[in-house]
Amino acid sequence: MSNARLSGAAQGNARWQTPEAARRIARRNAAERRFKLIGLGAIVLSLAFLALLLVIMLKNGLSGLDWSFLTGSDSTDPDVAGVWGATKGSLLTMLVTLLLSFPMGVLAAIYLEEFAPKARWIEWVEVSINNLAAVPSIIFGLLGLAVFINTLGMPRSSPLVGGLTLALMTMPVIVISGRNAIKAVPPSIRDAALAIGASKMQTVFHHVLPLALPGILTGTIIGMARALGETAPLLMIGMRAFVVTPPGGITDPSSVLPMQIFLWSDEIDSGFVQNTSAAIIVLLVFLLAMNGLAIYLRNKFEVRW
Amino acid sequence: MKVETMQQTKLTARNVDVYYGAKKAINNVSIDIDNGVVTAFIGPSGCGKSTFLRSLNRMNDTIADARVTGEILLDGENIYAPDMDPVALRARVGMVFQKPNPFPKSIYENIAYGPRIHGLAPSKADMDGIIESALTKAGLWDEVKDRLHDAGTALSGGQQQRLCIARAIAVSPEVILMDEPCSALDPIATARIEELIDELKDTYAIVIVTHSMQQAARVSQRTAFFHLGNLVEYGDTSQIFTTPREEKTKDYITGRYG
Repeated sequence: MSNARLSGAAQGNARWQTPEAARRIARRNAAERRFKLIGLGAIVLSLAFLALLLVIMLKNGLSGLDWSFLTGSDSTDPDVAGVWGATKGSLLTMLVTLLLSFPMGVLAAIYLEEFAPKARWIEWVEVSINNLAAVPSIIFGLLGLAVFINTLGMPRSSPLVGGLTLALMTMPVIVISGRNAIKAVPPSIRDAALAIGASKMQTVFHHVLPLALPGILTGTIIGMARALGETAPLLMIGMRAFVVTPPGGITDPSSVLPMQIFLWSDEIDSGFVQNTSAAIIVLLVFLLAMNGLAIYLRNKFEVRW
Repeated sequence: MKVETMQQTKLTARNVDVYYGAKKAINNVSIDIDNGVVTAFIGPSGCGKSTFLRSLNRMNDTIADARVTGEILLDGENIYAPDMDPVALRARVGMVFQKPNPFPKSIYENIAYGPRIHGLAPSKADMDGIIESALTKAGLWDEVKDRLHDAGTALSGGQQQRLCIARAIAVSPEVILMDEPCSALDPIATARIEELIDELKDTYAIVIVTHSMQQAARVSQRTAFFHLGNLVEYGDTSQIFTTPREEKTKDYITGRYG
């Protein structure tokens, strides 16, 4: 017995000292090094594009970024034109989108994850929501035009209609990220709450939801950032109108930042080239601020175990 | 299979079957569980002892396709009757799980949660009293009294499990079900929990599922042996371990299988 084991050990050792084994090990190490290089290359390439974009925009647009640009509204004269009207339009639109899509998305996610029966129609709901997230945004614009403006008679070009349309687009993203966050809460926490006599709703709202919140918020802000940069659906509902006064409320005609960029990029006057770049800088600052907020909120609410 | 005792019966099961979908996990189990003693459920893995335990406070309700038939009576009241509220039932029949599962909150909040949702502590002073008494009964007070607002999840595994016991005690249950409460703990922490179980048995009816026959022999006064979903033998622990009536029980406790 002990003899057999000894010879086995000797054999094992010999097995690792053949040239064949050395080649195998060298191949494996080379594969590891190659992978690291490829991964690093992928990161450098994507960052390079971001850097290139920033450099070009800053070079073209920085000189146009002054107080009158930030506080003015659209104009036919590039020296007078400013971005405040579109910024305010974006803010109002995002407000409508958030107020509608966040509660709806979170409640739908909670229902589907925690309360929904295991029935065939629930599977259909799940498939539909996943498909909804993949629908091209221009189609949501058509839907917004048909339902909100033509059927319900809401004011054309308004942040209200824009916000509602973008909410339709954002909601499935929130539902999907919310469900994943809820699914990631360990079942033992639900057991713990139920076993001391918490009701289903108490379990969900006192324990599961707070633990899922960082994930839900991250998904929400990513969805909102996407909505902020969206142009196509808003073309359909008339937000490409030329608006010289900033909107006073959510029912006033208005533009949004990406739309303003789109409109100016079409202008013939060379002064608008600078304006376009400057507006892109404003939009990027907005997006970076939202992503920063997402990271801050995730860290703030994250529970350490 | 009834054991003649002087104790008052707390839980009675009659002809209980438990199904997971079409699969029968528990087959026609009838048992009486008494106050003032520790009852141990033993048996090989997959014999249904945890399934049966979870049917005693309707935790099986949370499993989508689980179904319980037969009667389980708590103080003579059918816990599966349509007018029985499972939430109220679970406040009376508490449970401690295999893996310690404190809420990711402070020690204080872990225990305060149950009394708060059940309205047991009208004032802050009442709540403080409940928390001190629950932690004292769980043998944890001296270790944590100076850091009640630290995270419960920062405690050691054994302390976390005692915190979970304190959390169960805080809502004044009548029965405490323990599903292999020591299987994730080291021997010293296990010894502490076993001592605790022995102290708690005068106040609560305790049912413990355990993988370890030695543990069943140490902590329980009654032992029920499950095999393949059947209750094979139920009796005084000393009798089960010294003179089992059934061949299967004897084979299991002498280590022939399982």
